[in-house]
Amino acid sequence: MRDPSSRRPRYGEARYAYGTVLPVVLIVALFTIYPFFYALLTSFREVVLYKPFSQPFVGLKNYLDVVRSEFFAASWRHTLTFVAGAVPLTTVLGFGIAHLLNARTRLAPLLNVTILLPWAIPTVISGIIWAWIFNSSYGAFNGLLYSLGLIDSYVPWLSRPRSALACVLFAHIWKEVPLTSILYLAALQAIPEELYDAARVDGAGTLAAVSRITVPLVLPTTLIIVVYETMVGIVTFDLLYVMTGGGPAGATSLISYYLYNSMFVAFNFGQGAALAVLLALVLVAFIMLYLRLLRSEEIYAT
Amino acid sequence: MKGRAILRSGLPGALSLVLAAYVLAPFVWVALSSIQPEKELFRVPPRWIPRQLTLDNYRFVFTGQFPAGYEETGIARGRISEKARDALPALRNSTVVATSVALTNLILGTLAAYTFSRLRFRGAGLMYSFILASRLLPPMAVAIPYYLIINRLGLLDRYAALILIHTVFTLPFTVWFLTLYFRRVPPDLEEAALVDGCTRFQALMQIVVPVATPALAAAAAFSFMFSYNDFPFALFVTSTIRSQTIPVIVANTAINPDVSFGVVSVTVALTMLPPVAFAMAFRRYVTRGLIAVTTTR
Repeated sequence: MRDPSSRRPRYGEARYAYGTVLPVVLIVALFTIYPFFYALLTSFREVVLYKPFSQPFVGLKNYLDVVRSEFFAASWRHTLTFVAGAVPLTTVLGFGIAHLLNARTRLAPLLNVTILLPWAIPTVISGIIWAWIFNSSYGAFNGLLYSLGLIDSYVPWLSRPRSALACVLFAHIWKEVPLTSILYLAALQAIPEELYDAARVDGAGTLAAVSRITVPLVLPTTLIIVVYETMVGIVTFDLLYVMTGGGPAGATSLISYYLYNSMFVAFNFGQGAALAVLLALVLVAFIMLYLRLLRSEEIYAT
Repeated sequence: MKGRAILRSGLPGALSLVLAAYVLAPFVWVALSSIQPEKELFRVPPRWIPRQLTLDNYRFVFTGQFPAGYEETGIARGRISEKARDALPALRNSTVVATSVALTNLILGTLAAYTFSRLRFRGAGLMYSFILASRLLPPMAVAIPYYLIINRLGLLDRYAALILIHTVFTLPFTVWFLTLYFRRVPPDLEEAALVDGCTRFQALMQIVVPVATPALAAAAAFSFMFSYNDFPFALFVTSTIRSQTIPVIVANTAINPDVSFGVVSVTVALTMLPPVAFAMAFRRYVTRGLIAVTTTR
């Protein structure tokens, strides 16, 4: 215990404390509490652009309209397809790339610098670059396949529902893999080298060492990556805006883009707000799960 | 036996080469596209090694002088690409906004985080949790209320709007990150200084801040990059080049199917310079910070 007399008297210290903390609390509160209640209240009213002065209370109508809408189901289906591709790929690639970053190759120092670049640039910028590469008339991807003799004529990749989603997924993975690789790299570096030495002495091969030592020991990181990448996949918006505009025929209209569409294109604010509340609930559930995993990982680490 | 040894040492090397190509290819392709005349970009299949090099696209963005062979594609095209000339003012806007966000984070974040890490006062836990939990709201869900607040404050299409919104998004992380860091700094030195009549603020500035420079650099780098990279909010609360940031200008230039990609590549290349330089300069802090963001609590 510290001797209480060694501390300055409490007078004035509380004032200092509130003086330093309240600016942050107030700014955050203005942009949290008001938007929260605004979205909640709007979701129970009919708010559309062409009737600005009449916003009748309609109960759960917006929610029912949203849930029953064909586009809602379709956009969730596309979102789930996207997430089902993005999460395993970012996880597995990140795991593999972390080993390359950790390996004592001549390229490793260079890789450790360059791997950050896709993560560092704005997402819309990476979307623009990939849209140019996948361009149907002049894109480098078509050029490459054509030069290799794999296609006879250029393919409009971004105008076909399936391939458009795959192109966005490709760009998304390019952008996200740096993060997962670095997280796995940190996890790999935390594993004591002696474990591998012992396994080698016992005659275990590389595969056995990876599956028996590495995979179980990086499990907490894997869990974090899986949940985090699920959330990132659900809120994907920037890439869609610049690569496909949600098309063709809504095939890349994931849930966040659908929300943007109903608010800023269709101007149906009531339905948009209901959609936002539903999306928020899904995300909050994921974030709670995420925080739980982080907490259990702390216990695991100590 | 020898073959296996080669495989063992050669495989990681070969895969590393593939990885480097995968990561860098898009950057190289944009750089190459930006220094070729438009005609060359429309070749089928493309020339992998460019033959005609030109700085015309850069000259257009910097001076407004039309690239040679550009007029033949028509006057409408010329007008559309004119938007790309907003790239330079937009870069200035982005830099001003992102730097202000980083500075605001450093000032407000450091003060609040130090208080949370050292002082006990009524409501401290509640306020700390509130700040962290504010990040739970999904960005898309708050877009319209944000727009209304900014409108009410009379800040539409002004720097202050973006600085405020980006600060709201980055401050929770900064406060949390710095609080954790300050807790690891032993309090003995400050206690001695306080006994000698130093104020809390002086103790923070003279004793804690100098040893926390790496954490402060990471916090500044993160808030700068968040602000610089933000797209949706910059799209919603800005409307003219007075405050539009570079992601908005480049996106709105590029989604036009008639635009010259040579010119777009110039704007893309210019946009990437600051964050890439930043990521290089702050690499260690950024890497450490990245790990901290997603794994600690």
